[in-house]
Amino acid sequence: MGRHIVHRILILLPALIGVLFLCFCLLQVVPSDPAQIIAGPDANPETVAAIRAELGLDRPVLVQFAEYLLRIAQGDLGRSIISNRMVSEELMSTIGPTLELMIGALLMGIPLGIALGTLAAVWRGTVIDRCIMAFSVAGVSMPVFFIGLILIQYVGFKWGLLPFTGREGPVWEGGLPNMILPAVTLGGTLIGPIARLTRTAVLEVLGADFVRTARAKGLRETRVVLFHALRNALIPVVTLIGLQAAFLLGGAVVTETMFAWPGVGRLAVGAIISSDFPVAQGAIMILSLAFLVINLIVDVLYAWLDPRVQRA
Amino acid sequence: MSATTAETNVVLPGRASVLRRLARDKVAAAAAIIFGSICVISMLAPWVSPYDPYYTDLTIVMQPPSELHWFGTDNTGRDILSRIIYGTRNTLLMGLAGVVIGGFIGGLLGLLAAFYKRADGWIMRLVDILLAFPAILIGLAVAAISGAGLGPVLVALVVATVPLVARVARGSAVSIMEQEFMEAGRVVGVSDFTLIWRYLLLNCISTIFVFLTLRFGQVILVGSALSFLGMGAQPPMAELGMMAAQGRDFLFLAPHIATIPSLAIFVVVLAANLLGDALRDVLDPRLQQ
Repeated sequence: MGRHIVHRILILLPALIGVLFLCFCLLQVVPSDPAQIIAGPDANPETVAAIRAELGLDRPVLVQFAEYLLRIAQGDLGRSIISNRMVSEELMSTIGPTLELMIGALLMGIPLGIALGTLAAVWRGTVIDRCIMAFSVAGVSMPVFFIGLILIQYVGFKWGLLPFTGREGPVWEGGLPNMILPAVTLGGTLIGPIARLTRTAVLEVLGADFVRTARAKGLRETRVVLFHALRNALIPVVTLIGLQAAFLLGGAVVTETMFAWPGVGRLAVGAIISSDFPVAQGAIMILSLAFLVINLIVDVLYAWLDPRVQRA
Repeated sequence: MSATTAETNVVLPGRASVLRRLARDKVAAAAAIIFGSICVISMLAPWVSPYDPYYTDLTIVMQPPSELHWFGTDNTGRDILSRIIYGTRNTLLMGLAGVVIGGFIGGLLGLLAAFYKRADGWIMRLVDILLAFPAILIGLAVAAISGAGLGPVLVALVVATVPLVARVARGSAVSIMEQEFMEAGRVVGVSDFTLIWRYLLLNCISTIFVFLTLRFGQVILVGSALSFLGMGAQPPMAELGMMAAQGRDFLFLAPHIATIPSLAIFVVVLAANLLGDALRDVLDPRLQQ
């Protein structure tokens, strides 16, 4: 198991360097020459060159990249052009809400998706199966913001049931009502794909020999489905959830923007719109890193569920 | 001899039989008709839209749907139906460009990886790296570098499609490489180019095509999400995701401004997905997962 984890981390390294290099590039494209700006419009070329040398801008790109990595290792991501706060501080205060939102979405989407998929498989071919499948195709085809718009308009505004802007602190300190609508919006996108795959996987397993054996020795059907079939059917579902992490992060960016949720996604969008490059760079880096870590967790979980993977 | 082996191995259903089998599935037929109509109407936008999509009339702002304006008017008095027709065209073209360019590059990479064993490791490593970036993040990053617009969205859609197609194409091509006719072709001195183009591609094309059809809906969702965030099409251009974003500011006054474009995206993607599912069942049942 330990070797497997190390192996997976090694595979992720090139991707990690790619992410960091992209973020580094983001800082290079500041529209004008920073040295020129510092020196002022009337400065002579020698002064500009001196400032450039002082900032290290005249050195080869790779050297600058190495220095950038060194700074990141020390937690220094620069300062926001607009608020002048440290980028690392901005990220620290926004990563929590984003994780909270994603966990909320997963807690809502995964059980519901698996339950619906299993029901559809057990009642294969019936009206229930068809309804669940129609629901899941509709879910796959729905833009995230459409779910959000409808929830804001009806649940939030017309019926006034739940708040729909901002965050009121952590869940355990009364922040739960504010989190429900964003989490349902984001989690809603998960239900469709998970239900679909769970149905296929359960159907496949229900035809397997060990399920016949379980039935033959007289186990009750619920026990067969829940403990024998579902556990094995979950393996492809776990992979899917890992792949969905990409959509979940993307969806989180949209959801946070819609519900004014103070997370990294909203920070990134705001920074890009206001050309705040240091913040944009930091936010994109954190989101990409989060994605890599989620993938790693899924890989490890996968190996734990299906020990054959470790040997491959 | 190699040619006959190749031909007997290719079991592509003829075009007529594909259509017939699609027509038998009622949901698929409905999806095909709806998707086809959407495509035709939106491509004929300048001729079929009732009003100029950019003409603002401040005397009729935020009107709900009526006889004169079927989908109502937006916050500057523009006819929403006309904007939907133009917007659907832009959204469809954006998705099509993403899928075609991404499919071409990804398909090529996948076939080359399967054909040249030595390049396989490198290409698939590259694919793994590309897979590490969620499409929306690529869009955000490119928009941050070059400024918002359709360019960054297209780059994001292509970059996000390439690794997926490459994997599918490689998977399909690897099994073709094991066929005897590939070996035979090499033995009688067929050039690499012909082997890849005539033998490998021809046998993988239906798998790639089905995958791209299934991908189309996702690409449109990502593209419109980026536009919704303000990273894509810029006003006054009509694009469905951006129209939904603009309507968001008037959600409580005139909910139809945001709801109708969102609904349009939903219908387009739903039709595309149902059609893709049906095509997969007919052309390539192996892609089931």
